[in-house]
Amino acid sequence: MRKTVLMVVLLGIVLLMAQVGQAAQLVVWSSPDNADAIHELAQNFMQKYPEVSIEVTPLSWEVLYPRILQDLTAGAGSFDVTTWDLMTAGAIAPGMLDLDAFAKEHPELVDPNFDDQDFISTARYVYGFWKDKRIGYPFYGAAMFFFYRKDLFNDPGLQEKFRAKYGRELAVPRNWQEAKEVAEFFTKKFNPDSPTEYGIALMFPRTHTLFYMFLNFFGPYRRSAEGVNKFGQVDLDWGDYFTADGKPAFNSEEGVKALQDMIDLMKYAPDPLGSDYGETLEAFSKGMVAMIPQWTACLASWKESPQLQPFEEKVGVAVMPGGSPVSGGWGLGINANSKNQEWAFRFIQYATGKEGDKLQWLKYRIGPTRKSVIDDPEVKADSPWLAEAYVQSLEGASHRPRIPEEPKLEDVLVGTLSEILLGQRPNSIETLNEVARDWEKVLGR
Amino acid sequence: MKRNARRQKITGFLMVLPLLIVFLGLTIYPFAYMIYMSFHRYTLASWEKPEFIGFKNYQDIWQDRTARSSVDFTVLLLVTAVPLEILLGIGIAFLLRDFFGERVFRSVLLVPMMVPAVVAGIAWKMLYNFDFGPMNYFLSIFGFPKISWLGTQFFSRLGVILIDVWQWTPFVFLVLYAGLQSIPREVVEASLVDGASGLSALRYIELPLLRPLIWVVLVIRVIDALKIFDVVYMVTFGGPGSATHSYSFYIYKVGISFGWDIGYASALSIILLLAITILTNVLIRTVRLRETLEL
Repeated sequence: MRKTVLMVVLLGIVLLMAQVGQAAQLVVWSSPDNADAIHELAQNFMQKYPEVSIEVTPLSWEVLYPRILQDLTAGAGSFDVTTWDLMTAGAIAPGMLDLDAFAKEHPELVDPNFDDQDFISTARYVYGFWKDKRIGYPFYGAAMFFFYRKDLFNDPGLQEKFRAKYGRELAVPRNWQEAKEVAEFFTKKFNPDSPTEYGIALMFPRTHTLFYMFLNFFGPYRRSAEGVNKFGQVDLDWGDYFTADGKPAFNSEEGVKALQDMIDLMKYAPDPLGSDYGETLEAFSKGMVAMIPQWTACLASWKESPQLQPFEEKVGVAVMPGGSPVSGGWGLGINANSKNQEWAFRFIQYATGKEGDKLQWLKYRIGPTRKSVIDDPEVKADSPWLAEAYVQSLEGASHRPRIPEEPKLEDVLVGTLSEILLGQRPNSIETLNEVARDWEKVLGR
Repeated sequence: MKRNARRQKITGFLMVLPLLIVFLGLTIYPFAYMIYMSFHRYTLASWEKPEFIGFKNYQDIWQDRTARSSVDFTVLLLVTAVPLEILLGIGIAFLLRDFFGERVFRSVLLVPMMVPAVVAGIAWKMLYNFDFGPMNYFLSIFGFPKISWLGTQFFSRLGVILIDVWQWTPFVFLVLYAGLQSIPREVVEASLVDGASGLSALRYIELPLLRPLIWVVLVIRVIDALKIFDVVYMVTFGGPGSATHSYSFYIYKVGISFGWDIGYASALSIILLLAITILTNVLIRTVRLRETLEL
């Protein structure tokens, strides 16, 4: 008995010493969609540097941002590294480490192969900077895409019927007006010969999803020549919802038109107000719809769907109708209160480096942020659409605000958008003006 | 003798002290801080120190459309789900008494109450799925068209009310069933011998004896219904529109999702607390619960 107790105590001491002996323990917080990739990158990093141990904690989107903010404002230092959503840049910036300043202070830690200029320029800013402060390196590049059933669009019989009905060729819609016709054609209720039950899968729930979905429709108006003339150039911090001088832009004729486009399309979609990411993903996966605006991460699950095989022949990827899809994505940054800043800096360089960026795309469908990865022959062979549609989408993307007040602005607008789509309130400039007034209040004006 | 009594008092106080410290630290201090914060502008996302603004947060609540619509739905839930739960709970308790297989039914009936709200929320979201959900599947068997349970105002509200009734009727049943067991059988049997029908015995003897418990359950359910959060969070997220946006859910969004607007969320919470306190006190006084329970 005594011997056993002694052995256990000794083992405990040895384990404790092993822990103490390690140079550093990094705590990495991550959103669930980034977690698998970060976990593998962390494993690779630990193999390279056995003296460091990395613990990756996935936190849901709703939880991650408040937790980061709570930690940073309290100065607790509960995490060393975190993925941060591009919209949260303004709110978290004061508590994040300035990477450019840190690199200047520690030139010996800078990876000579990091190649900062290799990042796509928009990605470099929106996933990296708040004003002049470098709060992260681009980790997950994302804009929404328009996925469609390639086999149906290429079907000669369907092409013929479409031509007869609409007097033009069946093609992937370039704008939302065309999308309405194609969606109608592929909805059984309006066309009994349609091979799919619905034309398009749309997610318009009362969550943050609606805030970004609206931009897919408003973006094309905001970024058109008339839109730029009326509202001015888009500021990457204030985003497309605002004019160049920081006033709300959506309470306009263009905002009403965008909402009307959404309302018009709703009759071709399965339960748009009751569907979110999971429901629409499932609808496309089961072959129920012909088209769907979605993020790239869904590709991984669709590849497994029996109804979508052979995948390359059945699923096509295009730029969002209107050409201004909403941007998403994540940066990877360091807590200013981290006790392991040096290792954290090494790790984020590794994770966002060329090798990591390529691995993330090929294995986890996490959008690349580096030009060299998009031009990589292996990546080109794997995803030929990436070079065209991806870069075009990312460079022409509409952006949500990145200012600290963003979450509150989001909820105020989403509430009213949802009421308009539900028919509880009229789709008019007056209704949107009310929201704009609320926004001004939130912004303290 | 005096010294002994004093020592006993001190010992007693020392024994209670740890609990008192925990109570002060975890209940009284946060509560006082919440009241204090409700008079301040303090949002973590702005990285600014709290600024005293008097009653501004409270004034803003009256002009806040989302707060008003959240009150609407919460009141709707209160006046529909709670009475339904009480009626069903009473009915099931009476029906199940002396019923064949009583024990099995009793255990099965308690399952919804024991399922964690998060799990129940996920399960109901799947049940309500427009294309693949069992609810619409069973309706289609009887020739009904598909219902957008989460995409229309009427059905999303009905959906949340149904979940609340499903989850909390067992609680009402459990309390009243236990109450029924404690009613002396001799009283009921004596009334039957005197010529009362079963229904009369139920109406004039059993229900009056159960009344104190019914009031207690009602007060508990009213408080719970005013605080409904988990089902809304998991199933509808307050939508579509403002159809199922409950008041507690709004407090969560203001206090956490919006980037920690501590001041405004505190003011909203104080209003909820006042509403619960007033409503339960009115209820307690109306039904003379203190006298009934001899408190």
